[in-house]
Amino acid sequence: MAKKVLFVEDDEGFFNIFSVPLKMKGYEVIHVADGARAMDKILQEKPDLVLMDIILPGMSGLDILKEMKENMDTRDIKVVMLTNFGNDENVKKAVEYGAEDYYMKYNVVPSELPEKIAVLLGETPESGIKVTG
Amino acid sequence: MESYNIWLIIAESVLLLIISILLFRKSSELNKLLEKINKMKMGTGLLDGERDYVAAMVHELRAPLSVIKGASDLLLKDATNLDTEQIHTLLSQIKENSNAMLKIVADILDVSRIGSGKFEINKIFANLNDTLKEECSYFNALAKVKGIKLELELDENFGSFGFDPDRIKQVMGNLLSNAIKFTPEGGTITVSAKRYDHNVEVTVADTGVGVPDSEKGLLFKPFSQTSSHTRSEERGTGLGLVIVKAIVEAHKGNIRVEDNKPSGIKFIFTLPL
Repeated sequence: MAKKVLFVEDDEGFFNIFSVPLKMKGYEVIHVADGARAMDKILQEKPDLVLMDIILPGMSGLDILKEMKENMDTRDIKVVMLTNFGNDENVKKAVEYGAEDYYMKYNVVPSELPEKIAVLLGETPESGIKVTG
Repeated sequence: MESYNIWLIIAESVLLLIISILLFRKSSELNKLLEKINKMKMGTGLLDGERDYVAAMVHELRAPLSVIKGASDLLLKDATNLDTEQIHTLLSQIKENSNAMLKIVADILDVSRIGSGKFEINKIFANLNDTLKEECSYFNALAKVKGIKLELELDENFGSFGFDPDRIKQVMGNLLSNAIKFTPEGGTITVSAKRYDHNVEVTVADTGVGVPDSEKGLLFKPFSQTSSHTRSEERGTGLGLVIVKAIVEAHKGNIRVEDNKPSGIKFIFTLPL
């Protein structure tokens, strides 16, 4: 069964360039553009990983992350922040709130994103087999 | 016929590959340049405001550039694995973001001319109502997509007079795109033009989120963003209103901003007849 990645991103351009390679590698990608609706969608979809921007309409990515990690139903879902705002304060907060990783959009080569995600999910994206031991 | 189609597909693919390589190289070079500017700006002796200006400019250019770079990278590496729809989506993103970058560069150039006192307009004898109708017709399509009503109330009590139609279209474009961004679905934008003595007063009023009094003064300052700019798409350069003000003042007119009660904001500018 395909792993689910929920992508909270309000910029259509960034959503497209990062979702295309993920879909090509067999991930199911769910899109949420509105920060205020993200938490409901995460609870409903129970994704394996959440990719999240910081500047979002309705609710910031850092606030969504904090709420996820305080909720028993979503605290174990892996979260990666994907943003253009790489100041120290944001990175510090993301780590403090429990993000797995923090990527700068302009440093990530889209075709290499599935590999990074696969490592975080402990699998190889082509086979979907979980790497153990 | 079939062999013709195959050659057509091959020719398109080669062209696509060449475009992708060129875009990828250029965007990589530009991104490196932006990194350099960002690193250098701290030691340049620039004032705080100027540093903010450079930082904002770098940030605004970097976002569309990242999308262009990412899309061209995918087309270059995975073109054979992408379906037609994905190729179309990525090429559309390259086009849209290239246009966005061109608009930012044009805005920066305008602001630079304003700052150095070299900003000029080209007045010709034209009909303002025609200019307003044309611009509103273009933006009506965009407003409709968002479920917003765009109304036009024109005063036929003035004929043609001397103004720069292209620059007034730029003014209307900035005001209307802002109004569409900040007006929720079901809202209304009203454009009106009335004659008062020797002036025409043009108003663009929306029923959007409005701007708090404490932030109204920031609206015409370069790279300033009010608290209503929360979406990435809504951020923009913050240069649009600076240019709007400069264009109106170059016509010897003036611009002001007021609350549009019960909700929203209205921009009112005058042009002398």
